[in-house]
Amino acid sequence: MADGSKWAPYIEKMQEQLSQLALREIQQDQTAGKTVKAYAADKLAKIAIGDCAIGAEKHIGLCTIFPLENYWLPLFFSFWEEQEKKISFLVDIMPTVDSLVDEPYRIKYFDPIQPMWEKFAHLPGIAPFEDDAVRAVCSIVYTAAVVPVDKEGMRLAALAPHTEYLKSYIDFVKDAPQADGEAKAKEIQRKIKAVKTALRSYVQRQYAGAMHADMIKVFF
Amino acid sequence: MARVDYKDMITFADDLTGKYKLFEGIDLVPLETYEGMDTRSAWDFKTPMATGYYKPYLIKGSTAIEKITIGELHYMRRAKYCALNMTASDDYDLPIYACEFDESAPRLGITVDLMPIADIAAHPEYREKYLDPLAHDWRKYRTIPGFTEEGRCLLQRRYAPWPWARESLSPYSLDGRVEEPEDRMKVMDAVAAYARVWFELLKKAEPMKDPQYKQEVLIRKRVLQKFYRDRDPGGEVIKKIFGDDKHHLFVSLIF
Repeated sequence: MADGSKWAPYIEKMQEQLSQLALREIQQDQTAGKTVKAYAADKLAKIAIGDCAIGAEKHIGLCTIFPLENYWLPLFFSFWEEQEKKISFLVDIMPTVDSLVDEPYRIKYFDPIQPMWEKFAHLPGIAPFEDDAVRAVCSIVYTAAVVPVDKEGMRLAALAPHTEYLKSYIDFVKDAPQADGEAKAKEIQRKIKAVKTALRSYVQRQYAGAMHADMIKVFF
Repeated sequence: MARVDYKDMITFADDLTGKYKLFEGIDLVPLETYEGMDTRSAWDFKTPMATGYYKPYLIKGSTAIEKITIGELHYMRRAKYCALNMTASDDYDLPIYACEFDESAPRLGITVDLMPIADIAAHPEYREKYLDPLAHDWRKYRTIPGFTEEGRCLLQRRYAPWPWARESLSPYSLDGRVEEPEDRMKVMDAVAAYARVWFELLKKAEPMKDPQYKQEVLIRKRVLQKFYRDRDPGGEVIKKIFGDDKHHLFVSLIF
């Protein structure tokens, strides 16, 4: 950063949480200043984490976790765009079913997140995520903000929702059941595909210049 | 914070029909029977605690409408509970226009939305067709003080205690609590603007053709209606005032 401040330790803090999983590395893409790694784990098809810098002005972090399509388990998405004076972010545990109709799913996965969702509502800059297509795939407990960095402590404050949501998600993985029946499995499969398309498209639109196609592919 | 006397509260239904001319050019005909219930007892009610009406309509000559209900419940000349609901018939996948509008001296509570009756993450084309037309108005009205305060925009948080209700909302819901009288009037602009978008969608609506998609849509629609009719806390107030029988009629007309 121009003023000599340090970027928030996004990768380090997220990796700390991910280390609770038995990760098997499956993919890696590394070019100057840009690294993304992908893993697999029990019940999880892909866990990808990476970051890149856009000059000295922006630091981008992403973490995606897609479950195997035969599990009744949400997916995880964390997006981080840090600048000297503000941090834009979104973190969510996104539904892989229609969570209005499948109420037990909502009760199992989103109700426990609600206290965090309410706690983080007090963050300065909290707001609906700006992109309409991404907002449409979010759960009822997503947290998004454009946090003004008026003191250095704000960087860690903005990072807290990411690590706390991820910690909860990892707990959910441990006892996630298989999809109950073929119809539910099909619903999950269809929805994961649609959500993945929406998220990938967002990242492509935002960062096509900064992240090459292979790097984006690793996340999705 | 300015308090608003009952006599100065917004005349919700009169404003929509008069000031905003929302139904101009639309031939509304009263709906006397809804889901097997005679609706006429809801058209005008008066008890020691509450006066008002919930009046459902159809549009003359249209098969696309299940109901258009507009209503106001005035509680002891202290508060108003107003609603506008526009629901398409089962052959159409139009979102449900739902507006819940409660005004009391200290504040106005509002939720207005086009609630999707398809899973919009699985069906992005539904969002593009029916919900994205709200994007401009959503961005315009979400800055109303009360929706946004001190740089924090708190849309989709009014229903915080009721996660089942948040599940029903689109990405364009406008909801929150508004205090100042001039800001309360801006909320009415939003209520009318969202309704106009719904009427525009209605003009282009076509019956669903894919039976599997239709089944999926009707399942979601029924769940939505059941949740609001069974669980909306406003329904408890209605039950206390009017008893069980009328409660079912009233909540079925409101949602």
